[in-house]
Amino acid sequence: MMTLATLLGMWIPLLHPIPMPTSARVWMFFPLAAAVAAVYRATRARDVAGLTWPIIRTWLNIIIGMWLIALAAYGLHMAVIRLWY
Amino acid sequence: MSKPDPAIRSIQAGIAAWLIPGAGHWLLGLRGLAWLYFIAVSGPFWVGMLIGGVKASVDPQGNWWLFLAELGTGGYTAVCYMIAALLPTVPVYVETPYVSYFPSQDLSQIYLSVAGLLNLIVVFDAIARSQTDGLPVFHHEQLARQAQQTPPPTTSETTP
Repeated sequence: MMTLATLLGMWIPLLHPIPMPTSARVWMFFPLAAAVAAVYRATRARDVAGLTWPIIRTWLNIIIGMWLIALAAYGLHMAVIRLWY
Repeated sequence: MSKPDPAIRSIQAGIAAWLIPGAGHWLLGLRGLAWLYFIAVSGPFWVGMLIGGVKASVDPQGNWWLFLAELGTGGYTAVCYMIAALLPTVPVYVETPYVSYFPSQDLSQIYLSVAGLLNLIVVFDAIARSQTDGLPVFHHEQLARQAQQTPPPTTSETTP
């Protein structure tokens, strides 16, 4: 399989990783949060009818919550730096 | 056709959901939820696997904790493990086109572990719904609470 890929010099899905830019880590958070929101909301629903808005609401809650946690961690980090240095 | 034994139904739903996300719900006749779970778990799993590649992402010797989390999606991980086994293993200091590095590896690990752990929730949900005729545990609790709050019917209402 390796020889074939090397000979062809091509990208084979699942065998060759995709190089990602560092900034992708931030943007890739959004679809992952949507998946988490969908599973969380679906476990509490009788069926999929009317699940769209609850999923969107939970998705926004996760994003805002994570953003606030990041902000608090950054604030703490800056406070520690100012106090100690 | 008679319904299978509840215990067998639970085991079937749990194993099916573990092999393919959403398959347990499909077996229980909850087609809409099955599709939703399938997309919500398979999406992150295959995106993570595409970014990281099978060789670096399914490696019980190299990253045991990641492998443990991935086992939540048992069927997918088994397929990827078999593909990874076909690729040559090289020492860590040798550069190979099959191994991903930062930040791809970082992203891939997050996606794969989240997908695996989400599927565990899906497996437990399938097992729970198989025992409550498709009702979620939360809804079941809500019904029990409502039944407690509703006053019992009076004699005049029940007698014809």
